[in-house]
Amino acid sequence: MKSYLSLQVNGRQRDDAVSGNLLLVDYLREVVGLTGTKIGCDGGECGLCTVLIDGKAQHSCLTLAATCNGKSVETIESLGDGGRLSAIQRGFHEKLGAQCGFCTPGMVMAAEGLLRENPEPDEETIRTEMASNICRCTGYVKIIEAVQFAVEELKSKKEAA
Amino acid sequence: MDGNGTPPSPVKSIGVPLPMVDGPEKISGRAQYTSDFYDPSALAGAIKRSTVAHARILNVDTSAAEALHGVHAVITGSETDEGHGVLPISRTELPIAHDKVRYRGEPVAAVAADSIEIAIKACGLIKVEYDELPAYFTAEEALSEDAIDLHDHREGNIERHVEFEIGDPDEGFAEADLVHETEYHCAEVCQVQTEPHAAYAEYDGERDELTVRASTQVPYYVHLMLSKILKMPKSKIRVIKPYIGGGFGCRTEALNVEMITAMLARRAKGTVRTVISREDTFITHRGRQEQTVKIRMGMAKDGRVTAVDCKTIQRGGAHSGYGIVTILYAGSMLFAIYDLHHVRYDGKRVLTNTPPCGAFRGHGTVNTRHAFENAMDEMAEKLGLDPFEVRRINLIKELGFTASDQWINSYGLPECLDVVERASGWRDRIGNLPPGKGLGLGCSHYISGASKPVNWTGEPHATINLKLDFDGSVVILTGASEIGQGSNTILVQCVAEVLGIDPSRVKVVDADSRVTPKDNGSYSSRVTYMVGNAAIEAANNLKGVLMEAAARKFEVSPEDVECLGEVYRAGTQDEGMTFEEVVMAALEGTGTITVKGNFDTLPESWGGKKYRGAAIGGTMAFSYAAQVVEVTVDPNTAEITVDKVWVAHDCGKALNPLTVEGQIQGSVWMGMGQALTEETAYHDGLLISGNMLDYRVPTFVDSPPIETHIVESNDPHGPFGAKEAGEASLAGFLPALTSAVANAMGVRVHELPVTPDRLLQLLEDKEREMRAATAAE
Amino acid sequence: MENMPEFTLHRPDTAEEAAKLKASDDSSRYLAGGTDMIVNVRRGIEAPETMIDLTAIGEITQIAVDGDGLRIGAGVKLADLCVHADIVAKYPAIAQAAASVAGPTHRSYGTIGGNLCLDTRCLFYNQSQWWRESNNFCLKHKGEVCHVAPGGKRCFAAFSGDVAPALMVYGAEVDLVGPGGERTIPLPDLYRNDGMDHLTLEKDELLVSIRLPAPPAGSLSAYEKSRIRGSIDFPLAGCAVLLTSDGGQLSELQIALTAVNPFPQMVKGTDDFVGKPLDDEALDAIRDIVRTQAKPMRTTTVRPWYRRRVVGALARKLVMRLASV
Ligand SMILES: Cc1cc2nc3c(=O)[nH]c(=O)nc-3n(C[C@H](O)[C@H](O)[C@H](O)COP(=O)(O)OP(=O)(O)OC[C@H]3O[C@@H](n4cnc5c(N)ncnc54)[C@H](O)[C@@H]3O)c2cc1C
Ligand code: SF4
Ligand code: FES
Ligand code: FES
Repeated sequence: MKSYLSLQVNGRQRDDAVSGNLLLVDYLREVVGLTGTKIGCDGGECGLCTVLIDGKAQHSCLTLAATCNGKSVETIESLGDGGRLSAIQRGFHEKLGAQCGFCTPGMVMAAEGLLRENPEPDEETIRTEMASNICRCTGYVKIIEAVQFAVEELKSKKEAA
Repeated sequence: MDGNGTPPSPVKSIGVPLPMVDGPEKISGRAQYTSDFYDPSALAGAIKRSTVAHARILNVDTSAAEALHGVHAVITGSETDEGHGVLPISRTELPIAHDKVRYRGEPVAAVAADSIEIAIKACGLIKVEYDELPAYFTAEEALSEDAIDLHDHREGNIERHVEFEIGDPDEGFAEADLVHETEYHCAEVCQVQTEPHAAYAEYDGERDELTVRASTQVPYYVHLMLSKILKMPKSKIRVIKPYIGGGFGCRTEALNVEMITAMLARRAKGTVRTVISREDTFITHRGRQEQTVKIRMGMAKDGRVTAVDCKTIQRGGAHSGYGIVTILYAGSMLFAIYDLHHVRYDGKRVLTNTPPCGAFRGHGTVNTRHAFENAMDEMAEKLGLDPFEVRRINLIKELGFTASDQWINSYGLPECLDVVERASGWRDRIGNLPPGKGLGLGCSHYISGASKPVNWTGEPHATINLKLDFDGSVVILTGASEIGQGSNTILVQCVAEVLGIDPSRVKVVDADSRVTPKDNGSYSSRVTYMVGNAAIEAANNLKGVLMEAAARKFEVSPEDVECLGEVYRAGTQDEGMTFEEVVMAALEGTGTITVKGNFDTLPESWGGKKYRGAAIGGTMAFSYAAQVVEVTVDPNTAEITVDKVWVAHDCGKALNPLTVEGQIQGSVWMGMGQALTEETAYHDGLLISGNMLDYRVPTFVDSPPIETHIVESNDPHGPFGAKEAGEASLAGFLPALTSAVANAMGVRVHELPVTPDRLLQLLEDKEREMRAATAAE
Repeated sequence: MENMPEFTLHRPDTAEEAAKLKASDDSSRYLAGGTDMIVNVRRGIEAPETMIDLTAIGEITQIAVDGDGLRIGAGVKLADLCVHADIVAKYPAIAQAAASVAGPTHRSYGTIGGNLCLDTRCLFYNQSQWWRESNNFCLKHKGEVCHVAPGGKRCFAAFSGDVAPALMVYGAEVDLVGPGGERTIPLPDLYRNDGMDHLTLEKDELLVSIRLPAPPAGSLSAYEKSRIRGSIDFPLAGCAVLLTSDGGQLSELQIALTAVNPFPQMVKGTDDFVGKPLDDEALDAIRDIVRTQAKPMRTTTVRPWYRRRVVGALARKLVMRLASV
């Protein structure tokens, strides 16, 4: 049985008929065609599928698409700053927060969720608040530097404004 | 020339911390990995796996599956009788088991259907009749007298028994002041690259041609195996490597996923997309084997190691894989780090009814290095020596050949030791730490590419093509596999450096068998060294072409042309020609320019002949690392916190300090996982830990700051002096950790990983002994 | 596309409607954050024909002052519990327990209701369909034997929610709504010692809220869990302690455990330590009664031996720390 799903994906309104058992990650990747969000495990263990739902980080692999009715979903594809990388993305680029890049979309979205709530987290907070996301390449060292880079960049932007 | 009249200078690319050239794609979600390929017409592939560990297959009934609506192809072991594998002598693994299954989870059939639900349902309808055989889940069981053979061609379930003696071990032991024997056990570990295995195969029925995209580190080996398995000419196959979500060695051989997907596509006469689950990715395995290492070591009073006797047994799993190579490395890599002359080695690689092991990062060396370094520390303690002292007195005195004929041309280990000793404050802190805190040291090394390729064809080790056209961009065509380690970035830097041009002018097209030159793939840390050297040669050739073109225009001889990267000129007063003008001049009369660069290893580096298989361990350059680990142990729960790691890695020349650091940190951290939290567990051969909850990859909060120091020994043959950067730092973490725990708590854990239950057991045993001792007094 | 069994999804907006839907179909299941339920559905452990999503029910998402105490809606997210000012100040064990669940992302949508009604866990059970089939299933689901204790007819799967013991030491009660109306029971009564059927919730009941009385005056409390990793790890053992002490003597001691039995449990016999000096001997005795009441079995990859040792060590450590002896 399909139900009516009306939501915002990356700021755009969408209306679809979806089955009750459709996972959000499959909806995003296969129905909408946004393959930036990755799948790394069989459910809830790696954080690769992290997206923002109404601004909060959530695993799209444990979320039913139909329960997002009326909500706003944001994926890695929504980020950017006038065609260029956003501050967090720039941090990941410059500081080598991404090696193979497969954990990166989820990692960046987790960082995005964190900085919206807490724009100036210390290292300890970055560690505990991103600890649902596994990376197998970096040992996390440079991911932390990437987030710290973004914190500084956003701070100086705010001061400039 | 700029407004001030200063001539432009060639752009520096080497030694510059350049962010990865493909970073923006990965960070914006635009990079397409294998599972990101969809086509509305693509069928879903699914694999049916054996539920038993060891059995003869009596019958596979696929009729119900084939009758299911939406099913387009069902294949079984009868689809091919050709085996695959790494060494030409042991290609006996079938992509789908035919008459026998040898581990739980081995593919027994596969389906392509309209949807994954239908494919899985169809798998459920396939009936397999098994005649169960006795199964062996440990090396010991498989080696027992009455065990039956897993493979007919491997008697006694021994994949390979390596024995050698170098120097005169008996004399060495006689010379020792202390002879000590110790044993270490290392659990099996998995790579757990974040991307589960996937393959996407398109079959063109009209032309009988196949295009395969796969999550592999070795597209060329996949190509070869596809041709063998499918019995299709290589020219009718095209293999493309998309973005790859890591590998760490589990993708250095062709895996059944890609072969099965290709067979399904041909059978279904269409496109098939197979993305396997995390559990199935674990089962496909090719991780580091469970291993016991027994070391007997002779040491002089001053700490000099006079002789080593190493006996090791590896549980290799159900198929050969890299097995022979692994057990050979475990022996040969005893050498080339310290000055060793008398060594006896006895290594057995055993076949068992568990998923097949493979070439995990630090291939072959890690577990023996762990035991070796621990043995040194155990003996140092007995002799009252400092761990640094013991390492220093055993350092290699001069470059050249080891007793095992391995070739050492650069050796930065002494400096690595100095650096981490200073950085960690070892001198002041060791012995003065508060209770529950400890420091430990570990050293390790690795090869920069195996000097003799597994598949000897007579071709050079590496080939690079460069294409230069009217647009003035230099395109690197390489078969080398960027899998996240940054190889494309390094190649760009090598080419840009030689030409002196801005690296943004250099683009990479990689790993598409139709376009790029063949490359053996990303393993044994070969790419930077070998492909980097090929890229330098290619760039020099291109530079020669450009110099000549400029010379023609300037009407001077090429030697009189000065290349300033973006400007070429004939004399200092000359305005010169821009790079683009030189390119246009070069294209005159010939059109698009393609040049080539090759790399081959020198015969001196091919390893010794002192025993059969001694070529494994031969390399053009060894990299070195030393690290100090600091831990805090909670005496109540025996939980270990790694507070900090100081690591120094000799990578020859850091072509890109940013990516080198990233590689070192990733290695150290992966070593930490093996040392502390990671291990597979089986129940009668069923993988209990086939998920990312029970297989515990360290998280953000478990991961320490890693202070990373680069030591540059400048290898004479490396590209701009570079060596390997992504593997050597792994192994040293393990012994550094056990030594740090020993330093903190007075007990040394001989089993990996050092989980709190293992440690608590030892702490309680020690307490009991102490109480008994005081009671006895 | 990930493989997902089919079901009909309902999204009621009142608790009563949810309970009514639940009663309509024997196989029906509630879905809150889904961090446990969807995993189990994907593994074929749960195969409901009717799925009742609770996230649209507004009335269960509040934390409200309730007399001297608090009333926490079952739909409250763990992340909100961790930072709620009253909880952090007056019921720190709850905030600590909630903060130790899984990882931050799980907590941002995982609920307290789901945490309390979490299925029990066992390494022979939390596996894929293929895995369990290869192992001939087990008593808890579709099978004939228990692989942990093959002789018996009982299931020892461990209740592994972190927050239940923390709520218990404060004397929490839970409000249940069913077609027959509402009832309130002490939290320990929500559970029974049976890994196969550990909840006393009727098939058509919904847990709507948790009631917390005011904490005892001057009491101190804390929760700690043992785990291999610092995040994304279920407890190997978890322990909550509440105590009041004056002058080196305890006037109240409550200890509750999780992950060492099929149900979260109050430790019995803690009253014996009230009014007596809290010396080393007493601390050891506290550790030992905890160890005897914890009965972990081989349901995790880590040996039960350790879980039993460590749960005692945690209790001792927490009592010592809180009483600052
Ligand atoms: C990787 C991973 C790690 C985890 N680690 C931990 C951990 O360390 N500690 C821990 O405690 N948990 C852990 N969990 C489990 C889970 O995340 C939490 O327990 C969470 O609080 C469950 O809440 P939920 O809302 O997601 O529950 P759901 O999955 O939605 O539901 C869980 C169960 O409760 C039932 N249920 C939910 N709400 C109600 C209600 N109001 N009335 C009656 N029944 C109800 C559901 O039917 C289901 O059976 C982990 C999960 C994952 C995936
Ligand atoms: S304890 Fe026994 S019955 Fe219960 S889940 Fe585990 S194996 Fe099954
Ligand atoms: S894919 Fe691993 S948590 Fe969602
Ligand atoms: S960059 Fe490869 S997993 Fe994180």
